[in-house]
Amino acid sequence: YRDLHTFELQAPTRLIEWACGSRVCVAGYGQSDGNEILQLIPPPTLLTKETQGLCPERDFKVECGGFSERPVYSLKYVPDTSLLVTSGPPDSSLQVWQVSAEDSDVIKSVSSIATENGTGQSWAKIATISARAPWVLHGSRLDRVQITEVESRKNIYTAAPGGSEELSGLAFLDCNTLLLCCATGQLCLADIRQPQSLVEAMSVPSVPCSEHWCMGTRHGDQGWEPSSQPVARLSSTGLLTLTDLRKTSEFLASAKARVPSPGSGAEFLCVSWAPALEGCLAISGFDGTVHVYDTQSWDSSGREAEPIFVHKGHAFGGAGGSGDPPLVTVHTWHLQKPRTLLSAASDGSLHVWDWVQPCGKC
Amino acid sequence: MPEIKVTPLGAGQDVGRSCILVSIAGKNVMLDCGMHMGYNDDRRFPDFSYITQNGRLTDFLDCVIISHFHLDHCGALPYFSEMVGYDGPIYMTHPTKAICPILLEDYRKITVDKKGETNFFTSQMIKDCMKKVVAVHLHQTVQVDEELEIKAYYAGHVLGAAMFQIKVGCESVVYTGDYNMTPDRHLGAAWIDKCRPDLLISESTYATTIRDSKRCRERDFLKKVHETVERGGKVLIPVFALGRAQELCILLETFWERMNLKAPIYFSTGLTEKANHYYKLFITWTNQKIRKTFVQRNMFEFKHIKAFDRAFADNPGPMVVFATPGMLHAGQSLQIFRKWAGNEKNMVIMPGYCVQGTVGHKILSGQRKLEMEGRQILEVKMQVEYMSFSAHADAKGIMQLIRQAEPRNVLLVHGEAKKMEFLKQKIEQEFHVSCYMPANGETTTILTNPCIPVDISLGLLKRETAIGPLADAKKPKLMHGTLLMKDNSFRLLCPEQALKELGLAEHQLRFTCRVHIQDPRKEHETGLRVYNHLKGILKDYSVQHLPDGSITVESILIQATAHSEDQGTKVLLVSWTYQDEELGSYLTSLLKKGLPQST
Repeated sequence: YRDLHTFELQAPTRLIEWACGSRVCVAGYGQSDGNEILQLIPPPTLLTKETQGLCPERDFKVECGGFSERPVYSLKYVPDTSLLVTSGPPDSSLQVWQVSAEDSDVIKSVSSIATENGTGQSWAKIATISARAPWVLHGSRLDRVQITEVESRKNIYTAAPGGSEELSGLAFLDCNTLLLCCATGQLCLADIRQPQSLVEAMSVPSVPCSEHWCMGTRHGDQGWEPSSQPVARLSSTGLLTLTDLRKTSEFLASAKARVPSPGSGAEFLCVSWAPALEGCLAISGFDGTVHVYDTQSWDSSGREAEPIFVHKGHAFGGAGGSGDPPLVTVHTWHLQKPRTLLSAASDGSLHVWDWVQPCGKC
Repeated sequence: MPEIKVTPLGAGQDVGRSCILVSIAGKNVMLDCGMHMGYNDDRRFPDFSYITQNGRLTDFLDCVIISHFHLDHCGALPYFSEMVGYDGPIYMTHPTKAICPILLEDYRKITVDKKGETNFFTSQMIKDCMKKVVAVHLHQTVQVDEELEIKAYYAGHVLGAAMFQIKVGCESVVYTGDYNMTPDRHLGAAWIDKCRPDLLISESTYATTIRDSKRCRERDFLKKVHETVERGGKVLIPVFALGRAQELCILLETFWERMNLKAPIYFSTGLTEKANHYYKLFITWTNQKIRKTFVQRNMFEFKHIKAFDRAFADNPGPMVVFATPGMLHAGQSLQIFRKWAGNEKNMVIMPGYCVQGTVGHKILSGQRKLEMEGRQILEVKMQVEYMSFSAHADAKGIMQLIRQAEPRNVLLVHGEAKKMEFLKQKIEQEFHVSCYMPANGETTTILTNPCIPVDISLGLLKRETAIGPLADAKKPKLMHGTLLMKDNSFRLLCPEQALKELGLAEHQLRFTCRVHIQDPRKEHETGLRVYNHLKGILKDYSVQHLPDGSITVESILIQATAHSEDQGTKVLLVSWTYQDEELGSYLTSLLKKGLPQST
């Protein structure tokens, strides 16, 4: 490590979202009400590019917070507004909140976007974009995907009736193109200008259906063609596939991560691309570790890959031996510092770490 | 309505110069008397004119309580007691009483001698002020006067820091001062019992902070020290004798031992003995671990840390030195600093807050060319680092304390208004208590529900307990008595006694009910029918047929008479006293159902 900071949140979180001004947001997902949504200001050491040693301000500060009656499973900021959207069980509706950090430090609940509740609906996955107006893309199943304008709550787009597979993630590739990932691993593309057609992009290699998949897309804010960035998919058994959306007939590459089996379920599977390192991605959700891989050395054989770094900090949590070992619930990359990641675990710990490339490549 | 009034004179919604006025059941208490370290003029002292414009403070205030020796809690005390004028008692713990004057004198020296200020307290004033101090032990109830009592609880934070409970009758307030809910290497964590005060006044400086783990801080500190020493540099750590210094010493000693390092570590002359003296004196104030190991070896007698001699500063090679004073404003630490500042291999680590005007403050703000006496310019090439090891409670800790004490109301001080709204809501939601955050000069009134003590007569108690054991030990038992309010006393008596005392006679109430039944037979035959009927049904009661024809059920009388106009109808007179109401009504409804044909 070049640097490692550990913090303890009062309640564990399963999301870490970046907000403008380098703010970080976390939220509780406990069953009882009184879950807190916290917008944090990271310590100055994490905001600057160089790593300082000793610094008086080393703590996260809670800038503002809100109370949610339901567990918060997903949270996204709506760009260019002071709003954020959350979702969580028991249904697939969304809650809209207002953040006004200058006036008061309370995040207020503003409204909610209801969705028709079918049977057995789980919570909605969310993605946001600020196109012609602030939109939120949400849905819990393939046939229930919608785009709603956040402020007016008007429905902009509804997906064509298709399969009823559960979704594990969705994203805007640009303001007209959507990428949807099903829990079965299927990737679908949709063009909102053609609401009736849903293009199936990519299936997965024949695998037993008990696996659960999630996807990671590159942030498209660097000026790159979004669809030229490969999409990574991670399964609950550790299979990783990379797909180029322009050439969906075959995989770009695939590999297998060394993860404990039987896995601990698919609840917290997370895969993400490094914003500043070409070809690097991180995975977590299997145990108390976060793995970082360099995909540039991968081919399509699907054999086991060696991580270039493993963060084990959460496994050595403070509790030490009481109950289940902590499970990493989410991780995310720092937007500016190339090798810094933030990860959170089920014991409430929050780590910020900066790893060193072992073989000297920088 | 009885109420408690709280007015912060300092630290209302800012940090520094803590001073809170509490008015409880007619008693006035001042909590802390701190100085604001950021100001150079009168703003550094709390505004005492708020307390009383004309009257003497000694008459108005019943006592002053100081929570711990940090200057932002006791710095204005000599000014208050000697220059503004107060002769009443000042309460603080024994360690605080011992250490306070040292800090005050130190601060006086900087302000007057170095900065040349005039409107400041003198050494004599500090001494006179301390003569008014009454020292208290932990968990010792101290009677300030007949009605006001106070009790100190362990607060962690620094040696001798305490939280105070102020109680008048059954109304109480708990003031936390600065506290810490997690133990560190030489102090334990704050603790209070479930005293359920009407109000808990808590500091909230770090309420909005999610702290970096102590391990990371320590690791980074040790890394810096190690790196400097490895490259042959010297590390200067200016400290105040008591406080974080001990914590850092223990940390370094353990590290040196583990890493088998050879570079010497020095502790300023005179400091070791003084520090050791105080820690030995107040060993009960340190944490469990230290007390245990103290028996085997003195935790403050270190293997790798030696006493410093002035000459050592010129020795070549790496070393680490702890020297006072803590802000590099005078004395040994400044001397050493001047010798080492020019070498970039060296490092100075400031472990705490530095007051404006001191060298410590200047170099922390980035100044690298300092003007010393005699117009000499000192160029600072050594590395300057700042590491704060202060111990305050964060949001989780505050919630923990509230959970321990179970107050009915909470008041937050020491934080910024805008940043406390979230915490206020959090406390209100989780504990269902009201949470207040007044600004300086703003009075908050808390309404209380006092209990009124009532004496109960022995006779009544005996009577109630004679009835039998409680059906359910957990459920409260209902007791009947008469409340007599006479001559400012409240007493519960049994009614007979109350009547006697008041000279009243008891009134008897008798109810009579008429039940008509159809029965053509003679009166005494009807009576017999009724008797047999009742006897058959009311097997658990005493049913008697008296010679005059009337029937008694327990103490209820039933008589059968003929109806005046209709011989076929008999009128049953059922008569009972107020005490037999239940049975009387039951009998009446029973008889109204009629008599069975067979009898």
